[in-house]
Amino acid sequence: MTNKILRQSRANRFIHWGTAISILLLIISGMGQLPVYKRYNVTSLPGGEWLGSFFEMLDLHYLAAGILIFVVSFHLVYHALRREYDIFPKKGDVKESYLIIKAMVTGGKEPPADKYLAEQRLAYAFIGVNVVVLILTGIVKVLKNFAGSQLPETLIALSTHLHNLATVLLIFGIGAHLLAFIVKANRPLIRGMFYGTVDEDYAKERHSLWYNRGRGKNITKTKDKEVKQKNDSQNKSLDA
Amino acid sequence: MSDKISRRSFFQRSAAAGALSFLAASGLNKPVYGMTNSQEIGTVIDLSKCDGCKNLETPLCVSACRQKNQTKFPEPITPIKDYWPQPKHEDWSDKRGLTTRLTPYNWNYVEHVQVDHNGETEDVYVMRHCMHCDNATCQKVCPFSAINKDAHGAVSINENICFGGAKCRDVCPWGIPQRQAGVGLYLDIAPTLAGGGVMYKCDLCRDLLAKGEKPRCESACPKNAITSGPKEEMKDYAKARAQEIGGYIYGDVQNGGTSTFYVSKVPFSKINEAIAATKKAQDDEKPGRPLMPADVENYLDTEKGMAIGVLTAPIAGAALAAVTVYKTLKGEKVDD
Repeated sequence: MTNKILRQSRANRFIHWGTAISILLLIISGMGQLPVYKRYNVTSLPGGEWLGSFFEMLDLHYLAAGILIFVVSFHLVYHALRREYDIFPKKGDVKESYLIIKAMVTGGKEPPADKYLAEQRLAYAFIGVNVVVLILTGIVKVLKNFAGSQLPETLIALSTHLHNLATVLLIFGIGAHLLAFIVKANRPLIRGMFYGTVDEDYAKERHSLWYNRGRGKNITKTKDKEVKQKNDSQNKSLDA
Repeated sequence: MSDKISRRSFFQRSAAAGALSFLAASGLNKPVYGMTNSQEIGTVIDLSKCDGCKNLETPLCVSACRQKNQTKFPEPITPIKDYWPQPKHEDWSDKRGLTTRLTPYNWNYVEHVQVDHNGETEDVYVMRHCMHCDNATCQKVCPFSAINKDAHGAVSINENICFGGAKCRDVCPWGIPQRQAGVGLYLDIAPTLAGGGVMYKCDLCRDLLAKGEKPRCESACPKNAITSGPKEEMKDYAKARAQEIGGYIYGDVQNGGTSTFYVSKVPFSKINEAIAATKKAQDDEKPGRPLMPADVENYLDTEKGMAIGVLTAPIAGAALAAVTVYKTLKGEKVDD
């Protein structure tokens, strides 16, 4: 059995799955803000009737939005306080992504990667920007719905159109994120998001910079310690 | 009502009469009624004055509205496609002459019902059009922000943005906006798969209001049964008028408040029952003939708690993050 090393902390997994589940609910309830479920007979499926209620969908949208905003806010503050910015795009990521994808297709050697691959950092930025746009415009839409509030027409229209556009882009982004697992080389990462750990060999090979910089060093140290302890015990026995 | 006048009711009636005199003297029917551009407008529809223009084929408020808005009526492109996968579409273009319900070609109509009240059978004529709600559900939840509420409180649909999904009609307590297929933006985007045309309804003659003029239905009414003016004044006028005739008001509290105040000496619950009974007798289930239910709650008001939850979520998330980081750092548990 290969050694496992921690890749996604409990906090990271909470953020990932909190975001994923709330966004899934937001997409379902957001589509429910349009008259599509009834038109496409989804409401006549067993248990599908409630999807046709605009107001029940709005309730669900608010609930899921609350969860998403909670998680995103946790994510930003948590990583800012810990100064962890591994997933932020870096200069040259576009070129590096190209090289990685080229290597995946041609079977060549990928450039050495940090905790995240260049295209993973870009994907994060793409999804992140859309989520932030959705949250900000969504907040405007929530304020708009309060009794007595009449926000400027242009602000409402701008928020609505941006919200709709970002929704389409986000669905596209999530689709691309899921399609990435068609590529075999990416699949060992799935385990990391469920259990937190990935195979050490995988990390060493594909995320060598991260492996050597962080956990890799710890492991090396552990090995050194083991060797030292072994030597010490041998010396002791020799002394004896 | 009792003929005896108590001290209290004497003062109440005097106050009502005073309010009416003041409103009359301040010139309610003048073209520009001292409105500023940002003042909300209210409309009183006095059913005790309306006789539905019973000697005419079409009530004057209806024909005036039709004439004024005829250039805005839809001209669908034929053949009109069904709303796939549903084997239907809404087309009123061959019923343009219909004046007895709300359609995309008829933005107001007069509902005639007979109601038994105080031992007499009363003919009641109710001019129906958009109520122009204070917190207009249709405007708030339109997924494309195609509905606007202007400074006068007029709620109007932008036919260039409307996709014709008819959500506005579904969420309107009275189902006011009406749909015409074969027109609008959806034809340019996905005519088979999404959208359904354009929604049409009364816009309170917002263009006339902007010029300081009154809505056309009001100026056409021969009985002065329709009166518009500054909203709060109109509310007071409706109250005074209801008190004067010993009647009732509809529209002041429904759906969280609207800017249309019906006044009637017959209870609205009876009018509502009569409209429902008439529709049932005629087997009329199509949209465009709204009822007048008393209890109309604005759903968006009930969402307030949820909305506050959404707005406080960022603070809660940040607080949990701060506590978690503090605990982790103290525990020195490093899990990259």
